[in-house]
Amino acid sequence: MSIGLLLALLTAAALFGIGLYGALSQTNLVMIMMGVELILGGALLNLVAFWRFLHPGSYPGQMFVLIVMTVMAVEMAVGFGVAIARFRARGSVEMEAARELQG
Amino acid sequence: MTGLLALAPLAPLAAAALILLGRRAAAPLALLGAGASLYGGARLLSSVAAGATASLALPGLPGLPLALTATPLTALLSVLVATIALFVLTYATGYMTEDPERKRFFATMLLFVAAMQTLVLAGDWILLLAAWEVIGLASYLLIGFWHDRPGVPAAATRAFLTTRAADLGLYAAAFLLIGATGTNAITQATHPSGPAALAAGLLLLLAAMGKSAQTPLHGWLQDAMAGPTPVSALLHSATLVAAGAILLIRTAPLLPPAALLAAGLVGGTTTVITGLIAFAERDLKRLLAASTSSQYGLMLLAVGAGYPLAALLLLIAHAAIKSSLFLASGVFQHSRDSTRLDDLRGIAAERPLAYAGFTLAALALAGIPPLSGFLAKDAVIAATLASPRTAAFATLALAGTLLTGAYMGRALHALWHGQPHPRPLAGIGWMIAGLTGLVALAATLALAFPGIRTLLGQPLPETVAAKAAGLSAALTGLALGWLLRPERALGPLLPWAQRGFRIGGGLSALTVKSALTLARACDRTETLLYGGVLAAGRAGMAVARAAQASDDLGLDALIAALARGANRLGARLRTLQSGLIHRELALATAGAALLVASLAIALLAAPAIPPR
Repeated sequence: MSIGLLLALLTAAALFGIGLYGALSQTNLVMIMMGVELILGGALLNLVAFWRFLHPGSYPGQMFVLIVMTVMAVEMAVGFGVAIARFRARGSVEMEAARELQG
Repeated sequence: MTGLLALAPLAPLAAAALILLGRRAAAPLALLGAGASLYGGARLLSSVAAGATASLALPGLPGLPLALTATPLTALLSVLVATIALFVLTYATGYMTEDPERKRFFATMLLFVAAMQTLVLAGDWILLLAAWEVIGLASYLLIGFWHDRPGVPAAATRAFLTTRAADLGLYAAAFLLIGATGTNAITQATHPSGPAALAAGLLLLLAAMGKSAQTPLHGWLQDAMAGPTPVSALLHSATLVAAGAILLIRTAPLLPPAALLAAGLVGGTTTVITGLIAFAERDLKRLLAASTSSQYGLMLLAVGAGYPLAALLLLIAHAAIKSSLFLASGVFQHSRDSTRLDDLRGIAAERPLAYAGFTLAALALAGIPPLSGFLAKDAVIAATLASPRTAAFATLALAGTLLTGAYMGRALHALWHGQPHPRPLAGIGWMIAGLTGLVALAATLALAFPGIRTLLGQPLPETVAAKAAGLSAALTGLALGWLLRPERALGPLLPWAQRGFRIGGGLSALTVKSALTLARACDRTETLLYGGVLAAGRAGMAVARAAQASDDLGLDALIAALARGANRLGARLRTLQSGLIHRELALATAGAALLVASLAIALLAAPAIPPR
């Protein structure tokens, strides 16, 4: 295993951990989404690192990364849409108070 | 000829139908019907007397044709029935003037007459049985005519049940004879032999005993006085009660000696017993009723002695006499609204015409010459003297004659003495007209007897001894009755006789008790059966209920438990869904960690994949 790959994997793991912590510890919807972004970024970094260092000639890996990135963007758009709608309706995006989806 | 045969029974029937259909004119129609019937009978008699015989076959059961026949005997009886009916209906026109139910009365009377004409003229057993039944029905309706008065329905029912019970004898006898001879014609069926003939003879005697009110079945006749007086007059003289004697007279050639002996003994016993009852009786109509039984007893005695012609002569004379007596007593009844002898004291001065008629008829019944009753009684006594059992039969006949005189003398005495209190009476003209005709008949009927004897051509003994004995018995009886009170004459027998010797009551008690026992047994069986059916039903219900319960407990409960379990699980799982995003995120993380951990364990535990 090359040192580059190891570095990339460590960075990705750090990103994932920070993102997870942020998503779990924050109560603000925007902050949670930022955490989720970090988790996804870690995962993407993993994918890119494995493609770059292990199978540089395999294009499907690249395509996969691109698709995930697109989905990420769409997800963000939806997430922020929800946040804005909620803010307009309730004046707050604090998730501790959002119990409407309780079963 | 055949048309005349049909006219005699059909004319009264048609008149009855017209009365029921029409609004008024019940009495004239009734007289017309009876008159037409009399015309038919008389024309029939004259042509039969000229030597012709007629028979009218009617469509009947297959193999058992119905027939009306005219023989000298049947034609004579037909005339008798029609004559009495005509006079009684004339009387009834006056008697029923004020009764609102006249229509029903006359229609039923005519039905009665029609049935009697059919019975008299019937040439076969089936038609005879049918007429016999209709007579029973009509008499029930007539005795119970005033059905809203107390005691009347019971009297009608008693008469009906007693005669019906005895009627079974006629049924059995008719079936026995039809079976033995193979034909239902009466004239041809008259010569079977052996035990069948004896059984049939005794059964016929039983039927006659019921209808003619012979001991021990005499009780109903006195109760039958509950009906209107014209009904009694008709019933006693020419129809219901006469039917029994007519049956025996018609079938006399058929009876074997043993049955004849039984008939004679029954008749003789009856004539004495009911004679005593009549002597002790305190009610005029009931006295006459008991006297009727007594006279029919004499007729049975004559039949038993072997001379049905003597019985027939007495029947004819008695028909005219007894109907006159009843019609006169009906006049008395309307005058005083009672028939008790105590209430009727002194009526003689009040209704001299009716009393004269009554006296004439009473003397005729007692047997005083030259009235018709004398010749008839004389014939009966002569018959008993000529019979093989003179000792028993003649004694009974003379005792009967003596008693007849006694009770008639007593009645005449009771009506003669006392205070008159006259008052006007509606319809008396019609009543006296009917009465006069019948009394004239009763007095002069003796003139016809020689003609009847030659017409029928049957032997009849005639002795001076019989005449002397009969006349002296009658005179002694009349004197005794006029002079002696029953209390002194009968002594200790009196209360017993006044209760009708208790034989009728005892018999009905026996019948009623056994019927009630039977009914109780039936009831018990019924209850038992009912209980069984009920138990079976209950058992079925229990099974059904058990099946239903098992259904409820098994399948339904299982399904309900399943539903409840799913419900509870859902409720519990619902609490996981808090709706708080970070908590769900944490759960998702924990789930992912679990997944990763299990994957890692699986990878570590799995054997190493060999390199490609």
